[in-house]
Amino acid sequence: MLCDICHKREARIYYTEIINGEKKEQHLCEECAAEHTSFSAGKLGGKGELTLGNLLSSLLQGFYNGETKKVENEDLVCPKCGTSFEEFSKTGLLGCADCYKSFGSAIKESLNKIHGSELHTGKRPKGYEQEKAKEAEKRIQELSEIERLSIQLQQAIEQEEFEEAARLRDRIRELKAEEDQDKEGAPNA
Amino acid sequence: MRKWYEETAENGDVVISSRVRLARNLKSYVFGSRLRDADAVRLVKEVQDVAPLVKEKDGKRYFLCNVNRLSETDREAMVERYVVSPTLAAKKQETGLILSEDESVSIMINEEDHIRIQAVAAGMDLEKVFAEANFIDDILNEELPFSFDDKLGYLTACPTNVGTGLRASYMMFLPALMMTGRIQKLSEEMGKFGVTIRGIYGEGTKSQGCMYQVSNQKTLGRTEKEIIANLDCIVDQIIKQERDRRGYILREANEKTQDKVCRSYGILRYAKQLGTEDAMALLAQIKFGMDTGLIHLKGELNPHNLMMDIQPASLQKLIGKNVGSLVRDRARAEYIQKKLPDIE
Repeated sequence: MLCDICHKREARIYYTEIINGEKKEQHLCEECAAEHTSFSAGKLGGKGELTLGNLLSSLLQGFYNGETKKVENEDLVCPKCGTSFEEFSKTGLLGCADCYKSFGSAIKESLNKIHGSELHTGKRPKGYEQEKAKEAEKRIQELSEIERLSIQLQQAIEQEEFEEAARLRDRIRELKAEEDQDKEGAPNA
Repeated sequence: MRKWYEETAENGDVVISSRVRLARNLKSYVFGSRLRDADAVRLVKEVQDVAPLVKEKDGKRYFLCNVNRLSETDREAMVERYVVSPTLAAKKQETGLILSEDESVSIMINEEDHIRIQAVAAGMDLEKVFAEANFIDDILNEELPFSFDDKLGYLTACPTNVGTGLRASYMMFLPALMMTGRIQKLSEEMGKFGVTIRGIYGEGTKSQGCMYQVSNQKTLGRTEKEIIANLDCIVDQIIKQERDRRGYILREANEKTQDKVCRSYGILRYAKQLGTEDAMALLAQIKFGMDTGLIHLKGELNPHNLMMDIQPASLQKLIGKNVGSLVRDRARAEYIQKKLPDIE
């Protein structure tokens, strides 16, 4: 099944959201879930860190605990600029570009009301596509060994290759232990 | 050099001018509502620093200024000539302007969005003005990284502009639709197609001199071309309706209408004091009379141009000093008399 938002990647997360009693169900890929749902923001850790515990607990919640989280729009505050959803509702003005992500589904709703759409089909800045490709490449290169292994681990679990999963899990533990040692050792070195 | 509004153009009997506005924001700043004063100064400078590149590539002469540091009269006069928006003129924080000599291109800095690129031309030609604004957008973007999202497009301070950031509009002269009480109905019909009709200085302003601004409402989910094509399609309908009504009025009430036009001419010719609204309504009658052949003038007259000249702040500037409204009403009457050619 393909992701309900991008229609490109495989959907791996089953996401249910209940806002003001209205239930909305979606099948999403990780990227879109992280970008478009409130569940990722709280669950995947503030720095978007892919730790095993976070990943699994959020996945489990997504799969087995349909009603994951209730979003109270009024309490939303953009972490970058400090604009609250309440302020936005009053003035109609967002505080920064990040507000679009911070107010996620609430913004989507109003965009649908205003424009009858939530997808831009017009002009793109010159050189935007090349820049994006470069950025994606850079991001993959920037991933630590642990993060890369975590992604592999997740895939292994999904494909029920438990031996491989166990191997990866142990490897991640090893690397983490080394990292911790390095950190502890560093100040004295 | 002639200003854009001194040109005459196609469909000029109904469509006065075409205008496009693109909203853009810089990645490196928060939006206007959260922008600190010092950052506003930095923002204005950063954008104005690109002006030499705009000049070089566009080949036009450009002027720079900080709108907030101008006198109130200067700012109001700029709004009256559509050079800046009322929002920009009212802002206390540092605001900037890059304006082409013929006033057809204006780049507003620190308006509701960091940058508002506006291009305008006489008559009905949105494609041309969009091409111009788009060209300026590309030049600015070479030096200034804009906030852009893969799915939402250009990110704007208000979600009503997100996506293309494009507001395309026609200034229309609709005396016959107004006389026959059709504007309200028209407005409702157009709303269904995502098009709005408003007063001449945009949101919240009222119509003067039978002038209306017709523009797209939706900016997301359609390409720039589609937005313009949709608006053109609706405006073609309005033009047809307006012309049909004019024909009807001329057939059914020719003498009465001619009488009204000539009376308006008489007042403009001989009045000693003229208020803005009065003068606008009377000039609208003259334009209507000229377009429909009810009145023939010996010399040339551009009624829309004159309508801009007699706005309070523009007139103030012509007089050259700050005066009260009574002196201004006298000056307005005199000014119109000077410009108004004799009847054939």
